[in-house]
Amino acid sequence: MRIVIAEDDPLLREGLALLLRAEGLDVVATTDSPEPFLEAVDKHEPDVAIVDVRMPPTHTDEGIVAAVEARRRQPELAVLVLSAYVEQAFATDLLAGGAAKLGYLLKERVGRVEEFLVALHRVADGGTAIDPEVVGLLLARQRPESSLARLSPRERDVLALMAEGLGNTAIAEKLVVTEGAVHKHIRSIFAKLDLPPDDRADRRVTAVLRYLEAAR
Amino acid sequence: MTPVNLMDRARAAVDALERLVGGLGTAILAIGTLIWVAAVAVTSLIGVGLPFVHSAARAVRAAADRERARLSRWGPEIIEPDPLPPGLRAARDPVVWREFAWVVVHSTWGMVLGILGISLPLYAAQDLTFPLWWTLVPPGTGPGLVFWYVDGLFGALLVCLYGVFWLAVCVFGHPVLARVQAWPGRRLLAPPAGADLSLRVAQLTATRAAALDAHAAELRRIERSLHDGAQNRLVAVTVLLGAARRQVARDPEGAGELLERAQGAAEQALAELRTVVKTILPPVLDGRGLDGALKALTADSGVPCKLEIDLPGRCAASVEATAYFVVAEALTNITKHSRATSAKVSVSREKRNLRIRVEDDGRGGADEADGSGIKGIRRRVEAYDGTLTIQSPPGGPTTMWVELPCGS
Repeated sequence: MRIVIAEDDPLLREGLALLLRAEGLDVVATTDSPEPFLEAVDKHEPDVAIVDVRMPPTHTDEGIVAAVEARRRQPELAVLVLSAYVEQAFATDLLAGGAAKLGYLLKERVGRVEEFLVALHRVADGGTAIDPEVVGLLLARQRPESSLARLSPRERDVLALMAEGLGNTAIAEKLVVTEGAVHKHIRSIFAKLDLPPDDRADRRVTAVLRYLEAAR
Repeated sequence: MTPVNLMDRARAAVDALERLVGGLGTAILAIGTLIWVAAVAVTSLIGVGLPFVHSAARAVRAAADRERARLSRWGPEIIEPDPLPPGLRAARDPVVWREFAWVVVHSTWGMVLGILGISLPLYAAQDLTFPLWWTLVPPGTGPGLVFWYVDGLFGALLVCLYGVFWLAVCVFGHPVLARVQAWPGRRLLAPPAGADLSLRVAQLTATRAAALDAHAAELRRIERSLHDGAQNRLVAVTVLLGAARRQVARDPEGAGELLERAQGAAEQALAELRTVVKTILPPVLDGRGLDGALKALTADSGVPCKLEIDLPGRCAASVEATAYFVVAEALTNITKHSRATSAKVSVSREKRNLRIRVEDDGRGGADEADGSGIKGIRRRVEAYDGTLTIQSPPGGPTTMWVELPCGS
């Protein structure tokens, strides 16, 4: 897997590169601001770009803008955005063009290397990785009278994991239930939320997030 | 006239007498001020007096403030004007000129009225009591305000009657006299009607907005330094620890290296946190007060720095923090840009103002436009309704004056 990193903090940039290389991944370029990042993406055509949200010059949302631009130039590029804090607006901007090959994680998740690598691979393989924090934020904003209230606690757990981008097998593992049970829960959720009963990962996530957005 | 009414009259007259005596006090103050101003004005013609111009303006302001306080006790409050502009600009302040006009009027006309106000009742008392002691003085000697030849008991009783007349004059006249004495002060020391007050309101609004801006900027600065500093370091710690955990089985030595890096990052995070905390409210201020904090600051200065400090009591915490930063920033500027070999910081408290002067013997030419340091100082100072003046001719030396209202 060929990776380009854009992160302005030198320590973090090098630490990330070190970690990924130690895992046998191919970090082809590390950059510290949007311009060199986009150049590196054009030059190396990587599989995955790992992008920090806050970068020079204004340290606000340069990373999001750069990620969206990189995707525009290379629609096949998988993008994993890392952020020091979750901001729902960033997630919404990112997901506007679909959730496939997209990730949005808190920076400290990188420290849980196994899970981070799983998320990285999932994104590279066309899936989605949304930070539980973001999902939690969206779920917490639901008013009690919204149709989410109709979900059972178990179904809410499943929904949250779905929104993170996990597949049925991973959800079953996390909740220690059978895949069949998860499948049943998902059908029930889709029915309660009037979502199309499509089971592909990115479509599921988009559908869930769109629904959460709309229900705000 | 009913007895009650008469009592009211008498009480009003006593009040008025008190006011006239107080007015006499400020009139004496005004005379002193007038003499000082005249001396400074004359010597300024040959240049010698120029360094004293500000102190003369301060004397005028002090006398005027005294009169304002006095008049505010006896009638509608007179709002105090803005603090004096620093240096020679004080002499151009129109408010100071109005105050000076009051000094002239009050030290002459006000003085005469004050003396009259005290002596009239004294004479009246003399005249009233004359029948009791007329035998003690040689015949022909009359008490106060008696301009005719007095002789015998009849004459003494006549003088007593005359005293009743003067007493009546005092009772009915003193309130008027006191009002007349106060009139120039009420006219000249009150803020000029309309325009200037609205100016003051506009200025207050602006400084309030500046204060909010300064706070927002301060929050942004803190957020930015937390995010770019400590937070990023801590993320690096987790990343390096994660990597080390993965490494430990495969390559213990490499893992050790990663752990060392992680530790370094954690130490950096702590250092950054310390710095940020220190810039929010220096702990030294809390512990040792502005006095001790400034001592520590000047002792650590890159350029040898003398400190003169005269602070009875403490100011509001925010004011002390501002003063601390002003001095810290000024010393940083001196160390970085001035090429000075020595510097001096003077801090004193003058009534409700904290006055700071920072000077150096460097090359001068400090420009607010190109260094953000001075701009930062000005923003912080103006946020607290203070003033900042800088004199920095090319070739030096540079002097900076800051006045901060103490808020206590």
